[in-house]
Amino acid sequence: MREEVFSRLLIPFFFIMLSINRWIALGMLAFSSGYGYLSFTYRILPFEQFLAMKPNTLPIGLALAGMVCSVALLLTPDGQSSSSTEENKVIGSDQKYLESPENYEWGKGIGLLILAVIYALSLRQAGFLIATSLFLSIGGLMLGERKIWILLPVSCAASFLVWYLVDEVLSIFMRPWPMIFYQ
Amino acid sequence: MWDQMLLGIQTAFTLQNMLFAALGCFIGTIIGMLPGLGPMSVVAIMIPVSIQIGDPSTTLILLAGVYYGAIFGGSTSSILINAPGEAAVVATSFDGYPMTRKGQAGKALTIAAISSFAGGTIGAILLMGFAPALASFAILFWSAEYFALMLVGLSAVAAFAGKGKVLKALMMTLLGLMLATVGESSLFNAPRFTLGLLDLQSGIHFVTLAMGLFAVPEAFFLALDVLRGKKGGSKEAREISNLRINVKEAKTIAPVIGRQSIQGFLIGVMPGAGATIASFLGYAVERNLAKPEERKEFGEGSIKGLAAPETANNAASTGSFVPLLTLGIPGSGTTAILLGALIALNLQPGPLLLQDRPEVFWSVIFSMYFGNVILLILNLPLVPYIAKILAVPRTYLIPFVLFFAMAGAYIGQNNATELLLLLGFGVFAILMRFADYPLPPMLIGFVLGQLFEDNFGRAIRNANGIQFIWERPMTLILIVSAAVFIIYPLLRDWMANKRK
Repeated sequence: MREEVFSRLLIPFFFIMLSINRWIALGMLAFSSGYGYLSFTYRILPFEQFLAMKPNTLPIGLALAGMVCSVALLLTPDGQSSSSTEENKVIGSDQKYLESPENYEWGKGIGLLILAVIYALSLRQAGFLIATSLFLSIGGLMLGERKIWILLPVSCAASFLVWYLVDEVLSIFMRPWPMIFYQ
Repeated sequence: MWDQMLLGIQTAFTLQNMLFAALGCFIGTIIGMLPGLGPMSVVAIMIPVSIQIGDPSTTLILLAGVYYGAIFGGSTSSILINAPGEAAVVATSFDGYPMTRKGQAGKALTIAAISSFAGGTIGAILLMGFAPALASFAILFWSAEYFALMLVGLSAVAAFAGKGKVLKALMMTLLGLMLATVGESSLFNAPRFTLGLLDLQSGIHFVTLAMGLFAVPEAFFLALDVLRGKKGGSKEAREISNLRINVKEAKTIAPVIGRQSIQGFLIGVMPGAGATIASFLGYAVERNLAKPEERKEFGEGSIKGLAAPETANNAASTGSFVPLLTLGIPGSGTTAILLGALIALNLQPGPLLLQDRPEVFWSVIFSMYFGNVILLILNLPLVPYIAKILAVPRTYLIPFVLFFAMAGAYIGQNNATELLLLLGFGVFAILMRFADYPLPPMLIGFVLGQLFEDNFGRAIRNANGIQFIWERPMTLILIVSAAVFIIYPLLRDWMANKRK
């Protein structure tokens, strides 16, 4: 069933990903061009007009170099990748994930990143202790941990320990409780 | 002179000062392991406590212990979970983390501990012998030379440009340099490229970028492979906590340690250069000196590649005490905070310190020997236990790695935007890893970018043009060295491939 879902939905996606090098080079070109546009249109203050090095001197150089480099990457054949070299076999290239995607837990990886985004957005409202305990517990459950009676206390204890060390011992303020308590 | 040194030894080796040196090393190591709390933050945090002690020698001994303890502590998270929380330990992750992936975490931590010890101790010997002479050498370095030194530091990217990835490494370096121009700069009056976002005014923070580029992808890829990780048995656990290095390995790293202690110390002596440049440069130099078969291992778990930056950054942190104690010039953020502490204690560091308060000057230097021994004694027995973190089930380890990375960016800033930026960099890094782009050059470009632009700008303003490049011999030598460091290995690889 799982393999079927992969072949129907994900494999066409990975065909597009086959030319990931090209897509990335295109993205780099867009980024360098955008950066170049901002550098060229950067408003120099009147007293900076006559400086030997203006605020946009280096950025313009970097943008031009970035554009040349990304065009070169765009025109370079895909075979430039080094995944098949002997050295990389020692630790394994990350391209292996794309070569046989059905062997990996994509849902868990992407789910974890989404959970991290939710954690980042909720930290302010929920406070450090609650948001962190929930993030660690839900993260563990998402990855397949079933012993919630161990996971939950460990997550709560870890959140408290980090908060105590940072806020109480090192005196770096970190709001422990939800925003509502401070209004 | 000898009387003064004896006075220093007497002061340094009192029970109270020895205990404070050990306490400083311990606190520095533990707090330094947290990403986001580099040596500068840890020393700053410890100042109010240490000033309460009252005695200048004891205060400085404690803070110096915290300083090099934090440098060593930072390397632990670099090696174990690819989360370099401080610029000076970024180069440690280049080969330290691949060693961990090969199941050699214990060995990597041992090499890091021994290299740090050797770098710190040799640095202390050099500090004792040559401090006053080196201080006058340090002030010969002007912006032009610093700019050239940054170029030599940037040549470390060549280590990742082999294996047909030259363009990719170059592109990533350029991206890093571009990101370094975001926000305020000491050279110009208005913040640049902030896109109207207030959060970008002070620029992109190092920890945000480093954690995004290294730790987030690591957590993601571990999650993709989570079921495989569960099968890790006791044999694997034994392997990662094995801290033995054999005679051949010891012989391999010994010359690296010797060279990098001296080179790292000399770079540390120059105000503004510091441990970060020393570690990148150490890595680049050792890669270029390595035999072709050893060079292939750089970036893949080379023990030379780990020993070089670890030795260099510790030697450089010792070296940074030269301009502080002899000229009263703080060479780095951390030594600037130490200078503040000294002034608060009614001491004026500078040429008169050695004359007026020799016991402070020499006791700090002698405490460094003791502090380095303490660091080794403290850390070697802990290596198997620290390495066992990796044997924790992945269902626990992965969310903790991600949390650890995010906490680094959140601590002290209480800013959720920083976390979103970190995750954005994380997604970018994942895509880059799929396409086989090397990530370290981007961080090298970012770390050195700001210094590169500042020094280049000052040099151009001073000379009113770029003629300083050929007019100042030291600048020219350094620029030519940087070019050789980048071009020669590429040319050599190309020739070798052509011959095949």
